[in-house]
Amino acid sequence: MPSPRFPIPQGTLDMLILQILSLEPAHGYGIAQRLEQISRSVVQVNQGSLYPALHRLEQKAWLKSEWKQSETGREAKFYSLTSSGRKQLKVEKDSWARLTGAVQLVFDEGN
Amino acid sequence: MNRLLNWFRLRRLDSDLERELNYHIDRRVGDLMERGLPEQQACRAATLELGGVTQVREEVRDVWLTRWLRDFAYDLRFSARSFFRSPSFTATVVLSLALGIGATTAIYSLLDQVVRRALPVPEPERLVLIDWKGDRATVNAFGSYNLMSYPICRDLQLQEQFFDGVLCRAAMSVSLSTGEEYSMTAAEIVSGTYFSALGVNPALGRLLTADDDQAPGASPVVVLSYDFWKTQLGSTADVVGRKVLVNQHPMTVVGVAAQTFRGVDVGEVPALWIPAAMSAQAIPGFDQMLSPRTHWMQILGRLRPGVTLAQAQAGLQPWFKAMLDEDTRREGFPNITPERRQRYLASTLELTPAPQGHSPLRRRLSQPLWVLFAATAVLLGLACLNVAGLFLARGSARGREISTRLALGASRGRIGRQLLADSVLLALAGGSLGILLAPLAMGALLAFLPRDAAANALQSAIDTRLLLFALLVSVATGLLSGFAPALEAGRGSLISSLGQRVGAGTGGLRLRKAIVTAQMALTLILVIGAALFVRTLAGLMAKGPGFDTSSLISFGVHPLRNGYTASESTRLVNRIHDEIRASSSVKASALARIQLLTGGTWNGSITIQASQRTTTDREVHLNAVSPEFFATLGAGILAGRAFDERDSLLEGEGGQRVAIVNEAFVKRYLGGQSPLGARIAPGSGPDVTPDVEIIGVVSNISYRGVREDWEQAYFPLDSGEAFYEGANFYVRVHGTSEAGFQSIRTILRGADPTLPINYLRTLDEQVNRSLNTERMLAALSGSFGTLALLLSLVGLYGVMSFVVTQRTREIGIRLALGATRLAAVWLVLRDALLMIALGIAIALPSVWALGRLVESQLYEIEATDPATIAVATLILCLATLGAALIPARRASAVNPTEALRFE
Repeated sequence: MPSPRFPIPQGTLDMLILQILSLEPAHGYGIAQRLEQISRSVVQVNQGSLYPALHRLEQKAWLKSEWKQSETGREAKFYSLTSSGRKQLKVEKDSWARLTGAVQLVFDEGN
Repeated sequence: MNRLLNWFRLRRLDSDLERELNYHIDRRVGDLMERGLPEQQACRAATLELGGVTQVREEVRDVWLTRWLRDFAYDLRFSARSFFRSPSFTATVVLSLALGIGATTAIYSLLDQVVRRALPVPEPERLVLIDWKGDRATVNAFGSYNLMSYPICRDLQLQEQFFDGVLCRAAMSVSLSTGEEYSMTAAEIVSGTYFSALGVNPALGRLLTADDDQAPGASPVVVLSYDFWKTQLGSTADVVGRKVLVNQHPMTVVGVAAQTFRGVDVGEVPALWIPAAMSAQAIPGFDQMLSPRTHWMQILGRLRPGVTLAQAQAGLQPWFKAMLDEDTRREGFPNITPERRQRYLASTLELTPAPQGHSPLRRRLSQPLWVLFAATAVLLGLACLNVAGLFLARGSARGREISTRLALGASRGRIGRQLLADSVLLALAGGSLGILLAPLAMGALLAFLPRDAAANALQSAIDTRLLLFALLVSVATGLLSGFAPALEAGRGSLISSLGQRVGAGTGGLRLRKAIVTAQMALTLILVIGAALFVRTLAGLMAKGPGFDTSSLISFGVHPLRNGYTASESTRLVNRIHDEIRASSSVKASALARIQLLTGGTWNGSITIQASQRTTTDREVHLNAVSPEFFATLGAGILAGRAFDERDSLLEGEGGQRVAIVNEAFVKRYLGGQSPLGARIAPGSGPDVTPDVEIIGVVSNISYRGVREDWEQAYFPLDSGEAFYEGANFYVRVHGTSEAGFQSIRTILRGADPTLPINYLRTLDEQVNRSLNTERMLAALSGSFGTLALLLSLVGLYGVMSFVVTQRTREIGIRLALGATRLAAVWLVLRDALLMIALGIAIALPSVWALGRLVESQLYEIEATDPATIAVATLILCLATLGAALIPARRASAVNPTEALRFE
């Protein structure tokens, strides 16, 4: 029985996708699996929102895609980071760090 | 931008997405089955995790298109369905818009071609027209407008600090033969700098250069236009090097100009370009090319980059002043009075922007076309108002539907968008139909223009810019007419409209009444305009040319352009004339040096010696005619006598110098005195000796056009006339003009089968041609007025019917309480009358304000002519009252019991 999972905070899905793709190009199913692994099943990612997010990021030109042979030998749509996507990831990481740092500060204050 | 693109590749995106999602599910199912789940369960789990394939697909599609656009597409589909359910409404709206848009597009395309389009050369905005402003003293001028001499052009070419190139050109027709046949062909006589200054490239061979324009007569070369090469020579590649005959002079084709380039005059597209050095060959009897006092060409310059028009104009004045000063000291400068000399020396050089080149057609048509364009814009406005009115009516009929949708939670924006979709869809439908109509309308329009210009230069084809314009107009129309009803739909209170009974409610009635009032005003403006132009045309037709045109034929030949010498030309013309007079089908025949009713004249100042010596204050129109001229035309000799054979003899052979002037001349210059015996002479200087005796006065006959009764003086054609401008015959025939044409052709073929006939037509046709512009204005404004009237009748009828339906209960109650049927009619008519009266009150001041714009197009009628305005107003009142009367009668026929039981 998995531990109770909480839904992924609004807006962080995009950041996670960018992070996963910054390591290597991957197809949608691959990204879904990686999300599952990385978050150690703590965070619940609704797979249904993965594809709209991918297409949204592609529309913003942070991702690019191409059809390539996958590990199973079948053609799959592989996404990879563009240079503006890379920049965006850095921006999001920074602001995330600032946010968590600030939240931590508030918590520390309380102790 | 990406999203717009996505619209067009939706299908591919869809199939890609399907593949992508299939891959995901297949992999997931595979993984789950590996973990031991049966296939069916695995499938279900995989789909569930995704939250439904269709849902994901919809969401992704939203990303592509954005929700708004996609919903708008649904709205459009919904609108289309609802329009098919009410075909009469749809047809009325689409037809109104199609007429408005078709007319606007047709007029605009002509306006664009004639008035607005720049020459197809690089950076046309740097081109300027260089003209003489002020008194030119006495010059020898021929051509259309803005005439300058060739030497001025050569001098200007040296002003390199201002210009990248200066060219001069003159439009001329020449007799051209590329094989056996001769035909009169439009040509442009140009300086060697012409093509380089404009920046035109050859399609084949080379173009003219400065080397082709050095010594007179030394460079017999021509460049052909692409169209001529294609249509007349079948695009043969070996045309370069070929010889053609220009006025019988052999000249070599050196090249073909670029396909897009069609000369600098939109109204007169040349088939070939001839260097000015060959002007003596291109213009029979012309040897004045190097004379600074012969003005016959237009000069265009290309400003250097960075030099403004004002800088160039200011910078050129010192040179121009010096040239004027030098000119007065030159041999052959006319002897003029000191004050005239002062005025001459005060002349300046004037530069005007000329990105569209130079065109007399533009000068003649631009004002009428703008007037017509304004009329079509008003018409389009009317169509929009009509559509808006119909939409409002439909909106109020759909009031309950809209209220229900609002009640169910639709936002006002959402409903407004639905209405917007309605109007955009209809506008596009109307626009497309209008675009289909436009070429037909264009064809009809071109029929009003001079035939040669219409045939060569102007096209009725729709180009992409025009298409864009039409679409823009139609969408703007849609937005405008969708705007008011959309607002109205958003405003009404929910509860009240849901609680409304059938047939009650305002339904934007006040707005609809305002719309109808505006329609009345616009219609009246158009109807008054139409009445003014129709009366102008009728006035000119009634006036006529001042002579009897029935069974009168004219034709022209130009032997000097076909290799004849001066004396041979005289002999040939006389022989033809003798044969025509001898023909049994001919009543009378006469010759004139200058053709009548073409818009052109031969003119000059005249010095008059009566009781005192005077000079005419404006140029008199001159012509030289044979003795039978006035009798053949049937123009009355009011005093003195007509010319006789003796007047044609040269002075040495016993002839004497005589002239005949017209009524207008006597009235302006000899008022009160007997014109007979007064002496005149061409010219205005102090050394002119008036020694030509006035022997007769002729009634006013039209020369340049039907419109004007200008001062005219006629001289006898002398027996040695070589007809440098060609010979123009005026022949009155027995029987039909067709038979007359036949016998004239036979005679000409007998005289010289290779001699082209410049023109052969009845005088009725000539008069008609000279009234082309007036006819175009009258016919088009008349049809616009009629259309406008129809549109506003539909509008008024719609509103009045609505009013009657709405007030049926009220009328029923009134009738039940004893009101008469007449009172019921009056109840409805009162509304209509108010709208009509308000419309008239708005229109009349506008007519007064707009009047001066059309004044110059009118003939002997003021733009504010009370009778015309009264008649137009009466027509509007009668027609609209007729339209209002139908619903009003329905009101009087209301059955009180039924009306009260209405629901």
